Parts: sequence; C-alpha cells; structure tokens
Amino acid sequence: MAYSQEQIDEIKRYCEKVSALSEGGITFLLLEKLRLPAGCEPSVCDALLCPVSRDGYPSRLYLSVQVSSRYSRNWNMTNARIGERNWVAFSWRVDIPNPSPAQLLIAHLMGFTKEK
Amino acid sequence: MRADRYSRQSFLGSDAEERISNCTVGIVGLGGGGSHIVQQLAHIGFQHYVIYDDDRVEESNLNRLVGARSVDVPAGTPKLHLAKMMIFGLQPGAEVKAFGCRWQEDPEPLRECQIVFGCVDSYKGREELEVACRRYLMHYIDIGMDVHGKENPVIGGQVILSSPGGLCIRCMGFLTDEKLAQEAARYGTAGGRPQVIWPNGVLASTAVGLAVNLLTGWTRRALTHAYLSYDGNEATVKESITLKNRSAGSCAHFTETDVGDPVLVAL
Amino acid sequence: MRTIIKLTGDLHTLIMRDLARPHPFAAERVGFAFGRTCALRGSARLILLTNYHPVPDEQYIDDPAVGARIGPDALTWGMQAVYHGRLLREGIFHVHLHGHRGETGMSGVDRREIPALIPGFQSVGREAAHGIIILSLNHGSGWVWLPGSAECMHADGISVIGAPVQVFNRKARP
Repeated sequence: MAYSQEQIDEIKRYCEKVSALSEGGITFLLLEKLRLPAGCEPSVCDALLCPVSRDGYPSRLYLSVQVSSRYSRNWNMTNARIGERNWVAFSWRVDIPNPSPAQLLIAHLMGFTKEK
Repeated sequence: MRADRYSRQSFLGSDAEERISNCTVGIVGLGGGGSHIVQQLAHIGFQHYVIYDDDRVEESNLNRLVGARSVDVPAGTPKLHLAKMMIFGLQPGAEVKAFGCRWQEDPEPLRECQIVFGCVDSYKGREELEVACRRYLMHYIDIGMDVHGKENPVIGGQVILSSPGGLCIRCMGFLTDEKLAQEAARYGTAGGRPQVIWPNGVLASTAVGLAVNLLTGWTRRALTHAYLSYDGNEATVKESITLKNRSAGSCAHFTETDVGDPVLVAL
Repeated sequence: MRTIIKLTGDLHTLIMRDLARPHPFAAERVGFAFGRTCALRGSARLILLTNYHPVPDEQYIDDPAVGARIGPDALTWGMQAVYHGRLLREGIFHVHLHGHRGETGMSGVDRREIPALIPGFQSVGREAAHGIIILSLNHGSGWVWLPGSAECMHADGISVIGAPVQVFNRKARP
C-alpha cells in the first residue's frame, strides 16, 4: 500500500518517527513514540497501525504497552508478536471507507476518549 | 553401550546417529503433545534442545502429561522440569536450553534450531511461531488436537510441516483469517478444552517421524511440506483434503524479504 | 563469539550445482552468496543466506597458478550488490567448493587472497557481515567478518535447512 507524502507528513504529526514494516504479506506502520490522548498513562508509547483486516478486525492499532485511560477497555490481545516485538491491543472496531493513515489512527485513538 | 542402544535404528542410515545428535530441536509447549515429543526425541538420541513452557503441573494434566506423577501436582512442578528430567534421564550429556516463559519473551535461543515443534493451543500462537521459523530458517512442525461436539464427540487433529521456501500453514488451508477472528472473539471464554492422551500420542509420533525423516531421509521422500489430518473416531491419519485440493504453486504469504530481522523502511 | 550460518536446502543445491559446473579454463568456480545478520543470545550471531550469484565465465582471469581467479568486473559487481543491499544489511560471502568430502579449510591461496577482498566490501556495506564460505562435497565451513570488525570469526557451523537437513559443525579444536 503506497501512501502519498502528504499522508505520511500528516501521520508524522502524532509521533516521532514513522516506518513501514512488512510481515506475512501485510505492511504495518510503525509509529515510534506515539503521543496518546490526554488522560492516558503512559502518555507516549510505540504503536503499530495495521490498515487492513487482521485478527477479525478491519484495522487495528497495536501498542507496545497496555495503556490505562478514562474508560476501561477489553485488552483482548495481550501477546501479539509482530516484527519481532510483542504488542497488545484492546477491542475497538474501526471501519472507515478509504481512510488516510492519520484518519485511521485518530479513529483508533478515540478508543481512549470515547466510551463506545 | 552406545552402539547397542541405537542398533535397532540402523535402518535410518549409517550416519543417522550423527545427523540426529548434531541437530538442535526446539519444542514450544510441553503439555500433552510436547511432553510426548520430548520423550520420543530423547529416546531416539537427540542431544540439543531448546524448550519453552511457563506452566506447572495441575491435576487436570495428569490424564495426558507424559512424565507427570501425582506428586507433581501438590509440588507445583514446572512442566519444564519434567521435560528436562525426561531428556537427561536418557541423554545425560544432552545440551538443554530451557526457558520457563513464553518463547516470545526470550526468542533468540530458538533461532539456533534446525527444527521446531509447535505444541501450542491457539491459531495465533501457531501463526507467530511459523513467522519466526520463516524469518530464521527453521522447519516448523505443528501438532494439535481438538474434540468437537458434546452429544457425538469427534476427535480431530493435525500434523503440519511448514518449511522455508515451501507452502505455509495458510497455503495449506489450515490457518485462515476466519479461524483467527473466531479465536479472537472467544478470547477469555475458552476454558479447559477436552484433551486425552492417545490422540496426542498419535500426533506426536507422526510429528517425530517427520522430523527423523527430515534429518535422515530414510524414506527417500523429500518433503517440502505436509498437512496430515487425524480422525480420532476413524483412527486414521491422512493427507488433508484442503491440501489435496490445493493447486500447485509456491507460497503466497512468505517471500525472501521475510527472512531475517524485520526491515523498517523510514517514511 | 558464536557464529552460525544457515541457508535453505534449495539454495545449497543451487550453489553446489553451480560450483560443480566445469569452467573453460579455471579449475574451480566462484560465486557470491548474500546473507543477513541477526542476533542470537549474548553476542552470538546468525547469518542467513538468502541468495546466490554465480560469477559469469567471462569474469574469470586465466591464471594456472590458482584454482580460480576472478577479475575486477566480478568484484565491482559484488560491491554494487552490497551497496544495493545495504538497507537490508545484506553482506556478501565469497563461495567456492573443495572437491573432497569432510570438513574443509582455507588453502594457502585462499588464506592469502580472499580475506584481502573483505575491507572493500566492508567499506560499501558497513552494517553488514561479510565473509567466506568454502563447501566440500558433504560439509562446509565459513569465516565471518562482523560489521566494523577486522577480525575474522570461524563460524561454528553451517545448517542447510532442507530435506534432508544437514548440519556442518566445526569440529572442536583441542
């Protein structure tokens, strides 16, 4: 999946560095030192954005650590291994037609700020 | 004594003992299936092991955990310890790297293996192990069993060989997105699944047979992949229908770029 | 420092078939294999060979004093390949075959001439390991220069992950 420079610059605003990681036919976006919404603890962590269907979700945001926030979440993925690192993810379904990476990221981060 | 011990295995080839003793095997999961595998590998003469399991013996394991005794339950014996006892009891000079954790927490030692046995109980676990085996060039042999249906139980299971460059477990039709999604949806609700010793024995023995053939070539059949389906009700092990129906071709899921450490392309 | 080399059975077969082909004038053939370096426990390293490039017939130099001598075009090609593979940290390994059985070592000519190529490869592929692999009819040995190192590590073993699996362990030295 190719992204325009504009799309890459857009998502770079949320983290320190963006890289592409390919594994098993899927290209993930590694977001290093992603800044999480206010109220999250920790406030920064690494994240892996999967823009395609995987593990029963149309898209998914994996995090390097479990994050506490205002709303309690179902962390139903506690030990995913991708790109030779271990990741966690909570259950949050995002299904947007043709999102940019940043739009997808924002929609997933709403899992920390929206009740449902 | 050594010559006598393996005299009944001579049909495997004159250099079989050396091939077997030079090989480093990984066994991930030392439960019902993995404990059988460890026992057999130790008998056959394997000398180098990398083993992982973070669990302890419980009462419900005693119907199938090879090497476990009643006293291991109150003692809380780690399954890792049972495996080590099994190996050293038969191969006192063996090199055993044992890890009481999930392999993902200490993955580097596994990379030295030539053959890895996956005895895990989730599709996700299998997928991750296979990725590691493709990255670091290891044959992956997967086993698993399940019992379906309460009124008319059906025992099923599989032995799968996934080798670098060959068909993967997705190509062979065992692993699908649907299965992974269903498993993810069931997270936290699985509970204890039905498990009994004899299917584990069939599957473990078949898996060990594949490994010995990979090392010695004694059957003169060079397998690049295998998907054997076990029907516990019919007591048969046959090539899976999904593999038979698959059209010929190479692996669609792993390419040369998937070998080695992940490559990050800065954007 | 423990160093292990692995390659698939298909790649090993490809290399052996190529190296066994007769050359118009050279007694031996040479090729380049490419490998990626990964971490094992501690400081140990794993080299995964991923592909192979035979040196074309016309890039040899006719020198009866040695088994095979490759010319500047072959070396230039190798350096360019290392440069193009630097994102993958892919290093280059000079490969040839000794036509005997059993563990093999570097001949006097090998020792004199092949290590001299390594600094050039290191200058182009600084983050990769480079080296030498010498195969025999049923065994193989490797020598690895880790990134930035002038010191050569004799690999502890080469594993061929095919059917059958072959493990070429370096015999323990007394």
